[in-house]
Amino acid sequence: MSYDVRPILSALLRNRTGAVLVALQVAIALAVLVNALYIVVQRAERMSRPTGIDVDNIIVVTSKGFTQRYQPVAAMQEDLAYLRSLPGVIAATVTNSPPLCDGGNNEQLVTQPAAHRTDNYNQIEVDEQGLDALGLHLIAGRNFRHDEITPPLTTTDASRFVPSIIIGRELGERLYPHDNPLGKPVYDSLNQVATIIGIVDPVMGNFPSHDHPGWVYFAPRLAYGFGGPVDYLIRTQPGRRAALTGTIEAHLSKSNPDRVIGSVRPLNFYRDLTYLPDRAMEIYLITVTALLIAITGLGIFALATFNVSTRTKQIGTRRAVGARRRDIVRYFLVENGLITTAGVVAGCALALAAGYWLSLEYSLPRLDLYYLVGGVLVLWGIGQLAAWQPARRAAAVPPSVATRTV
Amino acid sequence: MQAYYLRLALKSFGRNPGLTALMVLAIALGIAVCIMTLTVYHAMSGNPIWWKNDRLYTVTMDNWDPNRRFRQDLEGPPIEVTYKDSQFLMRSRTPERKVVMYATNGVISAGAVPPRNASTRVTSADFFAMFEVPFLYGHGWSAAADDPAQPVIVLSREENVKLFGGANSVGRTVRWDDRDFRVVGVLDEWFPRPRYYDLNGGSFGEPDDVYIPFGWGPQLELLNNEETDCWGAEKLDTFRDFMGSECVWLQMWVELPDAASRERMQTLLDGYWAEQHKAGRFQRPRDNRLTNVADWLVHNKVVDTDNRVLVGLAFAFLAVCLINTVGLLLAKFLNGAAVTGVRRALGASRRQIFAQHLVEVGVLAALGALLGLALAALGLVAVHHMYAAAHNFSRGGYQELMHFDSVAVLWALVLACVATLAAGLYPAWRVGRLPPAVYLKSQ
Repeated sequence: MSYDVRPILSALLRNRTGAVLVALQVAIALAVLVNALYIVVQRAERMSRPTGIDVDNIIVVTSKGFTQRYQPVAAMQEDLAYLRSLPGVIAATVTNSPPLCDGGNNEQLVTQPAAHRTDNYNQIEVDEQGLDALGLHLIAGRNFRHDEITPPLTTTDASRFVPSIIIGRELGERLYPHDNPLGKPVYDSLNQVATIIGIVDPVMGNFPSHDHPGWVYFAPRLAYGFGGPVDYLIRTQPGRRAALTGTIEAHLSKSNPDRVIGSVRPLNFYRDLTYLPDRAMEIYLITVTALLIAITGLGIFALATFNVSTRTKQIGTRRAVGARRRDIVRYFLVENGLITTAGVVAGCALALAAGYWLSLEYSLPRLDLYYLVGGVLVLWGIGQLAAWQPARRAAAVPPSVATRTV
Repeated sequence: MQAYYLRLALKSFGRNPGLTALMVLAIALGIAVCIMTLTVYHAMSGNPIWWKNDRLYTVTMDNWDPNRRFRQDLEGPPIEVTYKDSQFLMRSRTPERKVVMYATNGVISAGAVPPRNASTRVTSADFFAMFEVPFLYGHGWSAAADDPAQPVIVLSREENVKLFGGANSVGRTVRWDDRDFRVVGVLDEWFPRPRYYDLNGGSFGEPDDVYIPFGWGPQLELLNNEETDCWGAEKLDTFRDFMGSECVWLQMWVELPDAASRERMQTLLDGYWAEQHKAGRFQRPRDNRLTNVADWLVHNKVVDTDNRVLVGLAFAFLAVCLINTVGLLLAKFLNGAAVTGVRRALGASRRQIFAQHLVEVGVLAALGALLGLALAALGLVAVHHMYAAAHNFSRGGYQELMHFDSVAVLWALVLACVATLAAGLYPAWRVGRLPPAVYLKSQ
């Protein structure tokens, strides 16, 4: 092999500019490819985290009472009775904020009264159909009974807690890392106590963007919504969601003149809105990286084509003095390989530097080296592919060309 | 001479149409990606009221838990203030103007128009003058209407269209949360981005639908529908408890015309802090801040990391496109060296050869810029659609971000020309340096 490489290398060194430019492109392309891919994979992982929620079959209805006559408890019970009577509805509940929308309530719970509080845990108000309306699975303990559901908070007792809660597994591990949390107490910020009666897993609450979206607990209470709107969650049988949306909107917007129905939307609307920046980033990165690779590939191809056409005579001469077609093809591929290798070496340094900058910006782990290996292979492949056709053309130059034009 | 060079350039493009197309495409894509990214970045990092940057300040005080700071990922005091602190500040005569406010959910109707949700800003009177909000009809209310609260309301332009078909509704009555309010003003189109005066509802959220005097907040016990943060073991059963608590939920702004008034304001805050500190509040280190709009946007990280990364990516992309162009131009020019050799032998000077090739590059740059501009416009339309579809809003900050303004067009042209000419300089110079004899010999 060294026999082949040495003359190619010295020819390259004699005519550096074009090669340097291609190597530079390869270097930048590698740095971008590797880091873009790394970000895209992380976004995809973030968006595909398990929620435990039957996101595709849930309708969210926002309702707000606004007159003096409005009776929240009676109105909510009437609405829930109607929703549950609809064929195709599996379960319905009322809650304070839609899941996965990045808005809701947090509370600071501890396992000893008056202990030091540091973490926020996501509190979600539901009634006895809450778990079913979300499609969550209990892994231990039991669901709320109808008689355990406490009345909504009012403007005279807004700091009232609940006697029992159901928690997500991750919150259980946070609160009681060494014990089974079932049956254990938790205390709110006023040291009011509640007992853990059930554990669900997996579960994601109101805040996908929080550091620990699984630190969730359910409080058995008709939703209060802090004086603002409350949200009905209606889980339908698969395929029935769209039809039921229309039925529900038509009925609820007429049934009670003392409230307004703000919106009737599928739950995946809220999830998609929460993840919109991630989705946009993914699309943008993939598009720009693909274009970048395409431009680089086309650039290599065009330069190789030009090199072949300017070297027709040399190729003819080599063929005339005995080089086989295979040797000519190999010459161009090896030349391209050398240039790409130089680019890839510089690109590795560039990719690591860019990766370091990104890890600071996003406070993420440093770039995974597998990505770098993958990126190097991809660029080598593209380089060889782009040089292949021009190399074949070069090999087709007949030996007679050398004698004809000199 | 220029026309001749132009003809030569076109001829040269005709010789290698594929290569020419590739170069134009590379330049266009590089420029399009840069313009798209910069347009979004520019919109996000803009200060919508820059001319008042040395007058407008938001007030924050660190009333948080002595054991931990407000937020782990945010340096400094809470970004909002408590009701009691806001009331102290509202009594002060030091600032030229002062505003305390929050957002609540309301339900609005008028005449035959059925009730609908309306996001409502509960604010003191100076809001409109302080943030220079434009009025289509009427005006805001006077400070006297804040307390005791008078039933007056200001509608956004959109809300006025929904309720009154866009007619001058000043003096008309609307029903807001089961109560009659008199319209005193209708805003003109107003969409500050980012929504700097209240970053809680999303930095690029819409301005509110309607505005009512601040006094209605306590009187009707209107709850905050944006961020409220509390700490400590306070019993918060009633709205009165809430107003007396350490919970932060109000945005507070002051307008201070000069350095002296700013100094006085700081002294006032520090004096208040010392007095409260002695009484047992404010147990964290003293951190009373007056922050101008530009610093406030930076402090709240309004331009997110994704945007900065994308700007970096866009320039890397442009770099690759330009390096590509340099390589291709060089190859092309050197390939035509034989012709250049003849021209040199016939008396063309190096400078003329240089000029001739630069004209060719210029034409490429112009084509690339035009195509790039078209691509960028297409790209922005695509981004706009994506956000519009996901938001399902009548209008939203993200949509408004995608405005393709004349500044962007200017950038595109400048960027294209500078970049491509820079890319063309070396090849054009290099081809002029070729010794003509070598190329003539081999003919």
